[in-house]
Amino acid sequence: MRLHPLTGLAAAGSTAVITTAAGSWPLSLAVVAGALAVSAAGGTARRLLPAAAAVLVPLTLSLLMVHGLAYPEGRTVLAEWGPARVTAEGLGFALQRGVQVCAAVLALLAFSFSVSVPDLVAAMNAKGVSGRFAFVLASTLTLLPAIAAQAEHIRTAQEARGLVIRRGLVHRAAAFRLQAVPLVLALVDDAGTRAAALEARGFSSSGPRTSYRTVPDSTAQRLLRAVLLLAAAASVVLRLLTLAAGG
Amino acid sequence: MPLPTGPVLEAGIQSFTFHDGGGPVLERIGFAAAPGTLTAVLGASGSGKTTLGRLLAGWLTPGSGGTLHGYLELGGTRLDFGSGRAGAGANGQHRVEPRIDPAKWGRQVGFVPQDAAAALSTVRATVAEELAFGLENAGVPRPAMVAAVARTAGLLGLTGLLDRNPARLSGGQLRRLAIGCAVISGPAVLVMDEPFASLDAAGAHELAALVRHLVASGTAVVILSQVIDGLLLAADQWLVLAAGTVAAAGDPASLGPDTGLVPAGIRRVGGAAGGALPTARTAPAATGNAEVPAAARTAAVPAAPRETAGAGAALELRDVSFSYGPDSRRPRNKGRWLARSRNAAPPPRQPLVLAGINLAVRPGEIVAVTGPNGAGKSTLLRHLNGLLRPTTGSVLVNSIDIAGRAAGKTAAAVGLLFQHPRDQLFERTLLREVRFGLDRLAGAAAAGERAAAALAAVGLQGAAHGHPAELSASGQRLLALATVLARRPSVIALDEPTVALDGDGLAVLDAAVRSAAAEGAAVVLVTHDLDYARMAAHRLVALDGGRLTEC
Repeated sequence: MRLHPLTGLAAAGSTAVITTAAGSWPLSLAVVAGALAVSAAGGTARRLLPAAAAVLVPLTLSLLMVHGLAYPEGRTVLAEWGPARVTAEGLGFALQRGVQVCAAVLALLAFSFSVSVPDLVAAMNAKGVSGRFAFVLASTLTLLPAIAAQAEHIRTAQEARGLVIRRGLVHRAAAFRLQAVPLVLALVDDAGTRAAALEARGFSSSGPRTSYRTVPDSTAQRLLRAVLLLAAAASVVLRLLTLAAGG
Repeated sequence: MPLPTGPVLEAGIQSFTFHDGGGPVLERIGFAAAPGTLTAVLGASGSGKTTLGRLLAGWLTPGSGGTLHGYLELGGTRLDFGSGRAGAGANGQHRVEPRIDPAKWGRQVGFVPQDAAAALSTVRATVAEELAFGLENAGVPRPAMVAAVARTAGLLGLTGLLDRNPARLSGGQLRRLAIGCAVISGPAVLVMDEPFASLDAAGAHELAALVRHLVASGTAVVILSQVIDGLLLAADQWLVLAAGTVAAAGDPASLGPDTGLVPAGIRRVGGAAGGALPTARTAPAATGNAEVPAAARTAAVPAAPRETAGAGAALELRDVSFSYGPDSRRPRNKGRWLARSRNAAPPPRQPLVLAGINLAVRPGEIVAVTGPNGAGKSTLLRHLNGLLRPTTGSVLVNSIDIAGRAAGKTAAAVGLLFQHPRDQLFERTLLREVRFGLDRLAGAAAAGERAAAALAAVGLQGAAHGHPAELSASGQRLLALATVLARRPSVIALDEPTVALDGDGLAVLDAAVRSAAAEGAAVVLVTHDLDYARMAAHRLVALDGGRLTEC
């Protein structure tokens, strides 16, 4: 039985919430390992890792900077430069937060790289989510390739008329300056025609919608989703209660 | 042919004006289409036929899209627009303007735009789901949708492609899908804008059969076209537009080429080509008909310079093979929007598109490359200026191997006219468009002069400061041609240059190609239009299955 996209979403979402709420080292590390294992099993690890690195490396570094250097409750000073003190407590806190964030981000990325977007859109339509919202969701994933393709057409046309683009990021960026305005104009023009087509095909109609694509679902999965959401809610409540009791 | 019943779609347009402050684009047009008939709306580029088509189909709604004085009547319901003002009729008192609901209108009138890809939603993963998109929005129950998709796919020959991603379809398949999306809800009227442009002979034949089927099953089919072919000769009525108004109307027999009622800008091709092509002032008299005697054809094309092949060739391809590998640059995807999900598997390694191509073109020679849709003609042309690199083999321009040279450098010697002018035009004014890159090539002083001369050569000098997007399709094509001519390249590569050109545009193209060849340029043109290829070229070669053969 295939995993329903909403089950996947519920699993990833509740995992992220629970690890954040629990704030426990071992749990966070287990989730990180779990997310990587799921991604490796699904064959998406090669795309997941660069995306995760792009999000997590700057985030973890900033956590280290903020908490590692300036942690008010830090007592064990490891190094000191003027007002900045590196404390063991600060580093520990930063690492704990870092692993927590890693766990949440990896769980959500593992989901987003493995889910079939058409299935997710169809499932959302079936749940009565507005067609416009589902369209926007799907478009965000198709827009980038479309823009890249359009930019390539324009660059090709310019090259055919003597624009020499040398290798290297700087040269490419300089050349992109010439493509930006026509790119935006072309996209706006394209959007105009498409809007008329979508209107004519009843895209804005407010009545009920049906879905051609069927996404198999089961009572067990529905139950699982309910349990996952309840668990996430319970973990948050528990965390708030502990905070209230402790503070 | 007598009309079986009253019209299902009718329009009486006193005037239609866009909100851009210009004059009326349509004036004094009467239109009526009865069930089970074929109507051809004929007009040269810029005659207003696309505006009329979009208005009839509800893609351009009076009010938000422009100001309409007149009426539209669909299935017996009449909507009067612009009443209470000039020419509103007897009841001159103030009334609320009716509004068209595009969705409800669209269920009864299907429309297929000239750019078929623009009609697709881009967010559906398969052809089947794209077909069902309109039905989903209307809340049609799934079993009925499945049946409708199967029926429509069968009708359009899309059954084998139902699970394909729409972004991976060829141009012809894309057009069939767009037609399927328009007819799946069983509209009483189907309006198609230039449906035959860029279709090869086989594709055009299938489309003609489909139109006949739809007409026989009771649909009122309206085809907007600047070209008269065999199918349109058999239409029930013609409405000929010129400068936004009716130039002539009636059945095809009463509007034959001898009557002079159809403007010269509207070409007759294939079986409909009875007379001569309109010829440009500078071009020798030429006929565009496949049936003309060989002697007449030879007379039409100036003799090619006599030199031995290979030696002194302006362009030479030596044993060029090519396949789209993972590292090669992809050419334009025919679907404008690459709706590929990032979760989709990478495309499988494709077979050879070009296999051991050898071709030498001498200065002053015009070579036509023909072949069916998808044969790799555009891929071949992109090798000439280095936009694509051969997997094996070499390309020589003026006896210099262009391997390793940037495409922008090779562009000094090779001018390429793209298949879609929209891919080639990116500037704000016509003059800037033609000048792009000229400064570097010819120096600032000469650039302005050359740009103006190139615009004049294609007859667009009057619109030099206008925006390229405001030109008609034919005008855009000619502007793209001007950008190529202004660079005075020694090799000119033209990709489907006749598509979207009206009769006048074709005459300009023809004159420009001949004069460039006469001045020593080597011309390679790719076309599926055999009539034009035979008329314009010294030599024909066919590309099929990746191999070139002399015709």
